[in-house]
Amino acid sequence: MTGALALLERTAGGVTSASREAVGVARTVADGGAVVGLLVGPGGTGPASGIPVDRLFTVEGPGLTDPSTAQYAALLSHAATQLGVARIVVPGTARGRDVVGRLAVRWAASAATGVTDVTLGEGGSLRITRPVFGGRASETLELPGPRQVFAPKPHAFSEPSAAAAPAPSETIALPDGFDKLPTRGAEGFEPTAGSKGPELGEASIVVSGGRGLRTPESFRLVEDLAESLGAAVGASRAVTDAGWRPSSYQVGQTGRSVSPQLYIAVGISGAIQHIVGMVSARVIVAINSDPQAPIFKVADYGVVGDLFPIVPALTKEIRKQRGLPAGPTGSGPG
Amino acid sequence: MEIAVLVKPVPDAETRLRPDAGGSGLDPEGVKWVLAGYDESAVEQALLLKESIPGTSVRAISYGPLARAEEVLRFAIALGCDAATSVEQPAGAPDDPLVTAAALHLALSKRAVALVLCGKQAGDDETGLVGPALAEMLGIAEYGVAVNVRWDAASSALTLQQSVEGGLVRVRASLPAVVALQQAWNDPRTAKLPNILKSRKAAIERMPASEVSSAIATVQALAARRLAFRLPPPRTGAKMIEYKSPEEAAERLVRILREEAKVFP
Repeated sequence: MTGALALLERTAGGVTSASREAVGVARTVADGGAVVGLLVGPGGTGPASGIPVDRLFTVEGPGLTDPSTAQYAALLSHAATQLGVARIVVPGTARGRDVVGRLAVRWAASAATGVTDVTLGEGGSLRITRPVFGGRASETLELPGPRQVFAPKPHAFSEPSAAAAPAPSETIALPDGFDKLPTRGAEGFEPTAGSKGPELGEASIVVSGGRGLRTPESFRLVEDLAESLGAAVGASRAVTDAGWRPSSYQVGQTGRSVSPQLYIAVGISGAIQHIVGMVSARVIVAINSDPQAPIFKVADYGVVGDLFPIVPALTKEIRKQRGLPAGPTGSGPG
Repeated sequence: MEIAVLVKPVPDAETRLRPDAGGSGLDPEGVKWVLAGYDESAVEQALLLKESIPGTSVRAISYGPLARAEEVLRFAIALGCDAATSVEQPAGAPDDPLVTAAALHLALSKRAVALVLCGKQAGDDETGLVGPALAEMLGIAEYGVAVNVRWDAASSALTLQQSVEGGLVRVRASLPAVVALQQAWNDPRTAKLPNILKSRKAAIERMPASEVSSAIATVQALAARRLAFRLPPPRTGAKMIEYKSPEEAAERLVRILREEAKVFP
């Protein structure tokens, strides 16, 4: 049995980057078979435009603008059964992971989350690798067949190139008993306070600032650097504990774990509590005045020196290289 | 209302990680097992709800090798949980989130629990799958990555927020439900010494391995097989950028990010 199904999770005007990554991974595990996308909610095939699937399933219905994880699981299981595919790839977002857990039970499949590598194994199995212990170790697992569902770790796989032509699409019916499933119950959405640019957990570049910035005002330097790179802004616990920025900025054991392509630590000494939240980034750059700072032990590239002239110079150079206007356009902190 | 809180024993954060003799898992030699961090938030949240909803009791439930499970259950009792159930992991049963969910399901299916709280993931395998898998087995709603869980007495409803990409979703939960905690609204409390001493003698309900074996029999076929447990190659330390002026440092770093690391946007 070949082929794979990928869930396309919607966002304003399209699907999430995690969904595009899921489609790319689905191609790997489809074993030469078709890659089918499932798009849930109103708007026809529009949001999936450019997504390189071979077929597109859409499903619409009351309450499906924002489905519950139980509804997602039921729809995926239904679509996979209808298609006869044995593998489902779910975007590695916060909610995607919950879908994997429900779907594994509903569809009687082996399951994994946070997958950073996957290859076809013997006898219909998959061989997957995933970080454990906050990236301090990794495990390789064999997911037995005949059915598997998993979520890739965000940014572990690159996005596939866009499709030139739209895939043939069809609308599928709701499975029996769908109206009995728990619904989402969402009543509103509050964007993360003070955030502009990409979200911390989703961003491919993260720039974080620490105590070395000395004052809440100079944290602006970190935000300007982030803006020049189109990066998300993070902070060490020292910064959020001091109230310079809200706790939603915190990267580390008691905050968010991030695994971007590039992580730039500015004025962060590198306490273990911070390290575990960012050590799985692909490339780590540290800028710090103390050459003995532990952050340099985990960084790939280091700049030892006074961050106050270096960071603005770096922002300026990046803006120049990227063809952006010289001055930052951001409003910065009030 | 009866609240269940799921507590998992995990290796202490200070544990020196190393592969076992077979190279497929963590060497348990000398590991100190403690309550998983997010589960500690779940216990705190359960106790906060108990304090705000009259007539509420909290039962801690743990699945694992008996000694480990009972260690974290006694800690949960010392923190203020009313009762505890240990679900004994049968010898040779695989460590897999679906198997864990099936074992916990056995303990929960016998009770009329309105709310099951757990951490959003445990700090060892970090799958985050047990809560949602259990909810599907129970046929109830689940709310992941929850913060600000509150009881609204006026409408007798549980409200919470879910931390998702880009912000927080405000949710009115339908009960019964599984809620996987990112954070309680307080830092987890510490156990007081007299309560720690008392918890040593507390009665713990046991579900023996023999009973658990049959409950996990079906789902065991889905369990992942462990092939390898590896430590990352030690980072060799940062390559330091040499420079004479801030401008030169900036130019060199950008060139490296573009040409060598290939991460320049």
